[in-house]
Amino acid sequence: MAATADIAQANTQAAQTAERWRAVRYLFLIFLGFWLLFTLFPLYFMAITAFKSAAETNLTQPTFWPQEWFPENFVGVFAEPTNFSALVDSFIIATGNTLLSLLLGSLAGYAFARFPRQAGGENMAFWMLSNRMFPPVAILVPMFFLFDNTPWGTDSHISLIILYLVFNLPLATWLMMVFFRDVPHELEEAAYLDGWKPLRAFVKVTLPLVLPGMISVAMLCWIFAWNEYLFANLFVGSDVRTYTIVIPTFTHGSQTLWNLQMAFSLIAMIPPVVLFIVLRRYMVRGLSLGVVKG
Amino acid sequence: MARVTLADVNKIYGTGTRAVHAVQDLDLTINDGEFVALLGPSGCGKTSTLRMIVGLESVTSGRIRFDGQDVTHLEPQQRNVAMAFETYALYPNFTIEENLTFPLEVQGVPPKERRRRAHQVAEMLRITPVLKEKPPGLSGGQQQRVSLGRALIREPAVFILDEVMSHLDAHLKFQMLFDLKRLHRDLKRTMIYVTHDQVEALALADRIAVMSNAKLQQVGGRAALYNRPANAFVADFIGEPPTNFFTARPLQENGSLTMQVDNSTLRFQLSSEAQAAVNATGGERFIVGLRPQNLTLDPNRGDPNRGRLKAAIAINEYLGERSILTLESGKARFRALVPPETAAGQRDIIDLFYDPTRVMIFDAETEDLIV
Amino acid sequence: MANITIEGLCKGWDFPVIDDLSVEIEEGEFFVVVGPSGIGKTTLLRLIAGLESADRGRILLGEREVTHLPPYRRRVAMTFESYALYPHLTVFENISSPLRARKKDRATIERRVKAVAQLLRIDHLLDRKPGQVSGGQKQRTALGRTLVADPEVFLLDEPISHLDAKIRQDLRMQFHTLEELRRVATLYVTHDYAEALSLGDRIGVMGNGGKLVQIGSARELFERPKALFVAEHLGQPTINAIPSILQEENGSLFACAENAALRLALSPQQSQRLNGGAKRRIVLGLRPQHVRPADELRGRDSEIDAQIDIFEALGSNGIIITKAGGVTITGLTHPERHFEPGQDLRLAIDTEALHIFDAETGLSLLEEPRWQG
Repeated sequence: MAATADIAQANTQAAQTAERWRAVRYLFLIFLGFWLLFTLFPLYFMAITAFKSAAETNLTQPTFWPQEWFPENFVGVFAEPTNFSALVDSFIIATGNTLLSLLLGSLAGYAFARFPRQAGGENMAFWMLSNRMFPPVAILVPMFFLFDNTPWGTDSHISLIILYLVFNLPLATWLMMVFFRDVPHELEEAAYLDGWKPLRAFVKVTLPLVLPGMISVAMLCWIFAWNEYLFANLFVGSDVRTYTIVIPTFTHGSQTLWNLQMAFSLIAMIPPVVLFIVLRRYMVRGLSLGVVKG
Repeated sequence: MARVTLADVNKIYGTGTRAVHAVQDLDLTINDGEFVALLGPSGCGKTSTLRMIVGLESVTSGRIRFDGQDVTHLEPQQRNVAMAFETYALYPNFTIEENLTFPLEVQGVPPKERRRRAHQVAEMLRITPVLKEKPPGLSGGQQQRVSLGRALIREPAVFILDEVMSHLDAHLKFQMLFDLKRLHRDLKRTMIYVTHDQVEALALADRIAVMSNAKLQQVGGRAALYNRPANAFVADFIGEPPTNFFTARPLQENGSLTMQVDNSTLRFQLSSEAQAAVNATGGERFIVGLRPQNLTLDPNRGDPNRGRLKAAIAINEYLGERSILTLESGKARFRALVPPETAAGQRDIIDLFYDPTRVMIFDAETEDLIV
Repeated sequence: MANITIEGLCKGWDFPVIDDLSVEIEEGEFFVVVGPSGIGKTTLLRLIAGLESADRGRILLGEREVTHLPPYRRRVAMTFESYALYPHLTVFENISSPLRARKKDRATIERRVKAVAQLLRIDHLLDRKPGQVSGGQKQRTALGRTLVADPEVFLLDEPISHLDAKIRQDLRMQFHTLEELRRVATLYVTHDYAEALSLGDRIGVMGNGGKLVQIGSARELFERPKALFVAEHLGQPTINAIPSILQEENGSLFACAENAALRLALSPQQSQRLNGGAKRRIVLGLRPQHVRPADELRGRDSEIDAQIDIFEALGSNGIIITKAGGVTITGLTHPERHFEPGQDLRLAIDTEALHIFDAETGLSLLEEPRWQG
């Protein structure tokens, strides 16, 4: 039966509903504001600290704006020439590991997506992902001895490139599996019928469709490898140095040179930020998993 | 029960240069207990209209009333409408009975009453035997009936069905048509049926509202849409196979007016009423429409005034209960519906006959019906 | 250019889907496989295309056995029910894919794609992506991709079932007129009997267990079905299937509906075919088009009394669902007539057109006893 409320009552009801929604919206905005402050403040403090003098960073009363600007900090961090090569080392390791993770992860992911039974099924794929759940520190020492017995030892690019696969490969495999699953198998079949051989069909049809996803995976792998500290600290140090183990070396006697540490950190932030900006377009599409639509 | 009135309703999505006028100046009244179909091709505005009636979409301008009460700005839950969707949207882990009673549980109806009503609805939809089963075990047709039942059980004032049959295959669809027809006969509830399939609309609805390009083209019963379509669009959209159209110019001959088809030897005789109407416009170009059903191979159905066409068969499609001939004469191509016994083959030249009063004339510019 | 020869083809997973299927499709023939959804029609196509491997049996294209060849060596073109267009490529690139795979030169590709696109009336869409064109245009693009390949065999999987009625009709005409399809062996799969009757030079009706229950021309299948399954699958409204018992009286045979008061006399020819057989349990098959109000059907009829249950004007026919002697019978009438529920009327039945099936096996007792297994 139709509601018997008259028009006036209906209008008040509508007005009340609108009022309630407006209140909710304001509350949400206030919450957003706090959240933004909470996340952005550390970045801000890092940036201004990079421009402070060493003395100013050690004041008991912290300053939120440099009393005096010291852009020389950014030159100071490279006083030691090996510091620059640390950035290069980090870059080599992160990039090498990313490429390897993508290659192996794509192959494995494809197998899990297309031949789940032969590849060991969902459980196998999940087991791989679960490798990311144990505390890394648990394998720190065993891994050190393991790599120490390899021809290239621990203190080399290749050791870290391979070691980081422990963390990045399961992630890459799992995500690539999801992306490949999103590409209908029929597209590849259509390509076979067009006359493309399987590998060519993969390159021509499947790869372009998972590319956005692949780039997101690359970003995630690269950033992990770029920022890794725990293993790098133990494994490398003389022949090879990553930037993460260089940062704690900015000290003067017992005094921590916060300004230099922050300046170097700021420089180390540049590559991932640039990468992110360049690849952002693909990343957003990849992360939303909407690889094939329409 | 309720009478639904849409008064001058407009829906515009977006603003400025990117604004899309989805529904334009729609005036439509659906009477209490009436079964009305909203029919049109995809993108014609029928879904927007439906969503405004339900309250899922805001109205840009105009009023929607149920039994005179203005519901334009009410929330969907306050409108007492129920809707069944194209996808069945059943809860797979609930039994059919639980699926049916779910809307009542939300309303706080006591369990005993819920059971009673579920059984009543199930009886009506012939799903009583499967009440204890779960959706995955049911056929597509049964699932669709459960989904209808879930909408019905709330005893809504207005019952809306959105393309409910598009996922069913032909045989099930056919069955479902009769089920729905029975259902409406038993319930006498106001029903609005949205579809792009003219066969469904014509079969089910008391009246059909044909929409195209955001505008209402014509509202009427089957006979009106079939025999007096408001314009060429309606004539084309209603009927299967679609109406044959020819561009033609009037020709005076022995004191009577005929229509000479462009690039073809076809010439149509007109009824005296049509001759007068064409003369009155004084136009030079017209669109002639004739339904494939109104062309016959039978020369003497007791009518001396029958018109005759000569054409060559391009395709003879045997369809079991009937055959469709695709015919050619010059550049003109048209179809005729003939009995399945017709043996004439490709490139045979045959005579076809028609009743001049069935010939429709449209304005070549506006495509509106002249006669 | 080649025939398709299929010999004893078997394919199954947990249960057999295609079971010992043999058929030969001639070069230039348009062969339609029709059957309910999920019966194995698509599997048959995928086996011929090489996307599935056969458990047993052989597939030959002309003289060449392809049973174990990978799809890209078979010279078979196939459209998918989902169209399977490459979403990241333009319509042009989609259509040209088979040519690029065979390393044709740029000019040839350009020329062939243009020609096919013009034929299918999508030449104005060549720069668009599949996501930017309508359903009918997607289907045309998919069709273009198969046409351009110049294959030995065309396989079309439900190419038009997901489109609107009007576009469907339009594309059906296209299938009738496309020379390319009429030159080579084409296997077309659909669940829509009207499509099958309209398009097929020959039609195979696929039934449970992945067998072709009957193969023949449209007229043969519709007018002389060899099994109840065939009669039920072709035609709408569905054929009236009335469980009955044969009875003999004064030398002529009658079909009497079980547990109901309906009784129809059979013609002498029918009686002769049945060769006695009184008391036999049968299913009487009665097409709705042969049941009409008595004032509409002339000659060679039996008439019965009935009561209207539902009348509905559907397309070019009016459908009457009636109760006659306790049996529900569907008939046809003129769509512009009108009947009220409960109204009494006299029905005329064209008994010449009756079908009689064995109640046990479902096979026709009037048609030849041998049928394709």
